[in-house]
Amino acid sequence: MELGRKIADYIDARLGIRDILEQNLTKYLLPRNINVWYTLGAVLLTLFALQIGTGILLLVYYNPTVDEAFHSVQRIMNEVPFGWLIRTVHAVGANIIILALLLHMLSVLFMGSYKAPREFNWLAGFFLFLLSLGMCLTGYLLPWSQLSFWATTVATSSSQEIPLVGDLAIRFLRGGAMVGQPTLGRFFALHVIGFPLLFGLLVLAHLFCVRRVGISRPPFGPDWHPAEPPARFHHEEHRGGIPFFPHYVAKDAAIIAFFLALLLGVVFFAPGLFFPPTAFEPADPFVTPKGIKPEWYFLWAYQTLKIFPSEFLGLAVQGVAVTLLLLLPFLDRSPERRPAKRPFFVVAFLLGIALFIALSVWGHYS
Amino acid sequence: METSSRRKFLVSALGMIGAAFAGVAAYPVFRYLSPPAMDKDKGRVSISRAQVGVGQAYFFQFQGHPAVVLQKTPGVFVAFSAICTHLGCIIKWLPEKEEFLCPCHAGRYATDGKVLGGPPPKPLPTIPVALSGDNLLVG
Repeated sequence: MELGRKIADYIDARLGIRDILEQNLTKYLLPRNINVWYTLGAVLLTLFALQIGTGILLLVYYNPTVDEAFHSVQRIMNEVPFGWLIRTVHAVGANIIILALLLHMLSVLFMGSYKAPREFNWLAGFFLFLLSLGMCLTGYLLPWSQLSFWATTVATSSSQEIPLVGDLAIRFLRGGAMVGQPTLGRFFALHVIGFPLLFGLLVLAHLFCVRRVGISRPPFGPDWHPAEPPARFHHEEHRGGIPFFPHYVAKDAAIIAFFLALLLGVVFFAPGLFFPPTAFEPADPFVTPKGIKPEWYFLWAYQTLKIFPSEFLGLAVQGVAVTLLLLLPFLDRSPERRPAKRPFFVVAFLLGIALFIALSVWGHYS
Repeated sequence: METSSRRKFLVSALGMIGAAFAGVAAYPVFRYLSPPAMDKDKGRVSISRAQVGVGQAYFFQFQGHPAVVLQKTPGVFVAFSAICTHLGCIIKWLPEKEEFLCPCHAGRYATDGKVLGGPPPKPLPTIPVALSGDNLLVG
């Protein structure tokens, strides 16, 4: 014990680690009325760490070739000890991450935390969301099952409708005319190194923005009043607030435990929830199975494409919706963040959620 | 004093719970990464006798390791691990000299696996060979 303290003192005298920890843990104060929705960032960091860990483990046995990919995944599931656990946690974890990301973004929208001076936080977070969808899409192909093959064929086909460069885009995405080894190669490279690298940098940028500007105070309570964003840089401090450690870390830990319980609940009690029967058949480029549907978080996009008479129109509507959301902090410039004082926004917010759910359910049963 | 002992208890309890969770998470990872156990019976290899001419050596995989079978004289077969006992390089057969040579540090082995010269500290481990019709059963 004494030796450990001496070593810690020796290192601290040179690097000042205790000071960094103090400034970022016990002396880092958060608003007193901070609520449970603010824990979703920590939940997402934990889930992403779990994805990286399980992803590295899957790489030990996975073979990214069209001849071997399916069999290597089957070997992981059926032969390698606990391979089924690692793979199912990875696959279900991706779905839980999208759920947590949606909740995180919805809470930021509802509480108006995207507004000035936090536009960059929103932009970094939004790109993280898009990248996560990209990782889900590229990861979906890797097991090289009928589901993977045909879902990717349908997903990449949409890009053909982009005016002027549609043909080039689809060939570039697939690495050829059809989904095949070149597609698997590029999706694999993007999934395991390209996107994660970019993702890591964006997470750092997002955390930097959050820490630099300061946590936004929840817009609730009688003493909250809208204030114009400062003209010069200002770090929002919360004097008299609660310390990040141990107070808020305990809350973070509780919600992380809840999400891990949800993840493991699906893994142990409903492992087939995200695996339809076509996920257990090897890819066959000559036989299209019936009723290929994307994952639940792409169903809204899938159904939108079906509603519009031309696929281009469907894509354009999706593009406009995503761009509007991306640029929201620059369009909605009022400093008011209290939901009760933003009736138009709250109605649009609720209608948006209802539309997302309705399109997804429609897409599922169509 | 009371607060201090309560804090101590909480820290210890959290530490133990954390260690238990870490153990539960680490065990599947350890098992996942562990190499498969070698089944001795399944490790038996059958080689066509025609593949091993008189005075010739045939290299093959035996229980995950390189091995060699040699027909010294008509009908007399011997098999060894093909891994040099010095630093683990793979030996090669020199038919003209009728000996094995390790190309890494010039270790030399006789047709019975004994060291003829060079740095190898011990002979090549032998593997049992039996004739079964037109096949050799190694292992």
